[in-house]
Amino acid sequence: MAEKDSGNSINRRQFLKASGAASAIAGSAGLAMFGYAAGIDPRSYQGYQSFEGADQNFNREKWTVDEPTYQKVGKGIRPDARTEVIFDRRGYMMRAYKPGCTIDDMNDPLKSYYKENPRDFELDVLGIEEIMPKFRQDSVKYRDQFRLANAFSHAMSAVSPRHDSRPPGEADFPRARRGGTPPEPVSLKDPEMTSKLIKKVSHQFGSTLVGIAKLNPDWVYLHTHRGRGFDVDTPLEVPKHWEYAIAVGVPMSWDSMYANPNYGTSEDAYSRARIIAYRLASFIKQLGYAARPHVPGNSYDIMVPPILVDAGLGEQGRHSVVITPELGCNFRASIVTTNIPMKTDKPIDIGVQDFCSYCMICADNCPSNSITREGRIDVRGYRRWEIDKATCLNFWNSNLGPMGCRLCIASCPYTRKANWLHKTAFKVSLNDPTGLSDKALTSLQKSFYDAPDPQKYYIPSLGGENASYREPPWWLRSEDFIEF
Amino acid sequence: MQFFNSGFFWFIEGILLCIVIISFSSWMKEKNIPMPLWKWAAFIIWILFVGFTIAFIGTSFGENEANAAVKGGILFGIISIISGAGLWRLIITGARRA
Ligand code: SF4
Ligand code: SF4
Repeated sequence: MAEKDSGNSINRRQFLKASGAASAIAGSAGLAMFGYAAGIDPRSYQGYQSFEGADQNFNREKWTVDEPTYQKVGKGIRPDARTEVIFDRRGYMMRAYKPGCTIDDMNDPLKSYYKENPRDFELDVLGIEEIMPKFRQDSVKYRDQFRLANAFSHAMSAVSPRHDSRPPGEADFPRARRGGTPPEPVSLKDPEMTSKLIKKVSHQFGSTLVGIAKLNPDWVYLHTHRGRGFDVDTPLEVPKHWEYAIAVGVPMSWDSMYANPNYGTSEDAYSRARIIAYRLASFIKQLGYAARPHVPGNSYDIMVPPILVDAGLGEQGRHSVVITPELGCNFRASIVTTNIPMKTDKPIDIGVQDFCSYCMICADNCPSNSITREGRIDVRGYRRWEIDKATCLNFWNSNLGPMGCRLCIASCPYTRKANWLHKTAFKVSLNDPTGLSDKALTSLQKSFYDAPDPQKYYIPSLGGENASYREPPWWLRSEDFIEF
Repeated sequence: MQFFNSGFFWFIEGILLCIVIISFSSWMKEKNIPMPLWKWAAFIIWILFVGFTIAFIGTSFGENEANAAVKGGILFGIISIISGAGLWRLIITGARRA
């Protein structure tokens, strides 16, 4: 009997050992599959085409601060879009340009600007004389490779609200309908409830992110863009009804964004951000209040990034784009200025300034060296990150895919999909007061997530290979669908 | 693939982990190796780290980040092996001869 017991016990032990080993193998295989499933899960494409607000899921309460993480260091000076917005300046410059021209051949305000910033004159001329002809030359040769990417980008921008180009006094106020009187502002019970309502409807309109700030007049252009209903040469007086700024934002397609600079596009997010802002402005006007959408590409009378910071959506990063907890910097935004009374949000501090002080991944990956490796600088009375916009635009203009570059967005460690791995890394970074985990995460990011040599991003005529940060998604690989 | 993101998947993983722990406990008894609480804690932490390593490799492959999968797999794999060997030496200290 004892012998039998001992035999049973050996069998039992052997059975336990075997099932332990089998369970360890099965459990490990399961974890590998869980990891793989998390890596390909479309639900990790946070915010992309999702509604209802569930994707603005970072609890900002704990991270709010009284002052934004840019610093006011002097008297705020309003920017002049004609010279300081690179797209506008390049447009004016192209109209004034003649081969061999000098700064003295320009008219004001370009002339005064270039006198103060002669390097920008050289870079703008370089863009016109060298970059654009080379782009045209290579685009004939290689454009088929980017056919689908360009088609997708065009398609995404094909639907857009009708652009309202009237001045604020006319365009921003509710209109009388069918010969009646314009709607009077409704009496609202509570600003906090109104904020809640505005945020909810913004999410319903398709916005992933929404935040509300008091509009700082320093963010309003002194001379604004063309087509906004103003005489651009007359300084703009900030309208009284631009009291608040509602900021909305949506992500760009995650997969194509990682394949920048040649396969990504801003147009998908631009288009949706425009539609949301116009819907929101219409909603507010129906309640009898004034509202004006400021939307991408260039239909703004205000600077967007500092408003996103003021509205508590994120912090400005080294690449000068705003980094949010939910989408990193993979998003595009619109603003609605309004006078509907609301409770405003507070700015947040999620540690971006410290992280950017030693990360530099965007600077390492920027093909045109437009991102500083130094600290923040003082611009018009504010200490903040600033990039070299002229060299950046020259690189944009050389790309064969949809307009732009966005490599700094693709390579930023904050721009990661919402799966367990990156969410955990973000939480660790956020909650570690020593900063040690940030340094460890940055080192891991640099050594694990390789990237092409930045020179390879250029077109062949400029010494590159048309490289992209990551392979394009299958649905943008023209060579798999089109006979060249 | 949705199964691996479901609650049921974690239920099965939990059962498998329990079997591993029971089996390990029985093996330690068979070898007359005492298992105080601290050894169990170290063992569980090690298992979690190994689990993290495996899931990291899977996620990186899923995200099309083969380089991260390989480099992370090697780095975290080596850490797992070395820490596993160290842990084993700690665990067998105090083993009584049968
Ligand atoms: S968009 Fe491209 S060129 Fe411009 S700063 Fe970013 S990485 Fe550099
Ligand atoms: S890549 Fe690094 S340095 Fe650049 S913005 Fe992102 S976190 Fe900051």
